[in-house]
Amino acid sequence: MGSSVKSSSPFTTHVLNTGDGVPAVRMALSLHRLDPRTAIWNLITIGNTDEDGRCPGLITSDAFTPGMYKVRFETGQYWESLGLSSFYPYVEIVFSVSDADQSCHVPLLVSRYSFSTYRGS
Amino acid sequence: MNRLQHIRCHMLAYKNMNIATTLSSPLTTHVLNTAKGVPGANMTISLHRLNPISSEWYLLTTGITNDDGRCPGLITKESFIAGVYKIRFETGKYWDALGETCFYPYVEVIFTISDPSQKYHVPLLLSRFSFSTYKGS
Repeated sequence: MGSSVKSSSPFTTHVLNTGDGVPAVRMALSLHRLDPRTAIWNLITIGNTDEDGRCPGLITSDAFTPGMYKVRFETGQYWESLGLSSFYPYVEIVFSVSDADQSCHVPLLVSRYSFSTYRGS
Repeated sequence: MNRLQHIRCHMLAYKNMNIATTLSSPLTTHVLNTAKGVPGANMTISLHRLNPISSEWYLLTTGITNDDGRCPGLITKESFIAGVYKIRFETGKYWDALGETCFYPYVEVIFTISDPSQKYHVPLLLSRFSFSTYKGS
């Protein structure tokens, strides 16, 4: 994928390690869409956060249709790679996209014993 | 939910009428509506435990938060074994009952209980477009 395609993902995320005050680097994550007919989650993309805690190119505009999505962050594995335990083995954030033309930003602020998220732009 | 789980939930609800049992749940939650600065009352929640062999979630309890946003009697000391648990909060339905939409149709917080002799508090601070949680005591 060229950089122009990666920068145009309508869905973005940003993971911050609030325990250490740094981006969460090399955290595995995955984006899924719910098939409403079967109630099964379909995997769209798997990726890892970069040095800035971001993961470009998660989905194309064409594929980002209205529906229910889930982004799963492998937070337990992340803390384990730092030699630390964590209260949460993973974090899943399930959200609704009603107007797929808008960009959708779902960040994750995470420490070993807390996390928060919000809908950004 | 199968018949056995139904009976189990009824028995747990009956036990919860005993205040001593209600207060002794080693796992508690508290829902706060941060947008309005009030407790998240009348929200349906459910507690599940992961079966590590089958990787399936087993429903332990369902409940509704009270006027203070709490749900006493989630689990008994005897049932509270080490493992991976999840609390599911029906956030979409909660905001729907208030006549508003929510970005999150539901919120699931998955956490690991390594020492069931301790008390754990898993609150949810929620608005229509954000939420946070932390490990309390």
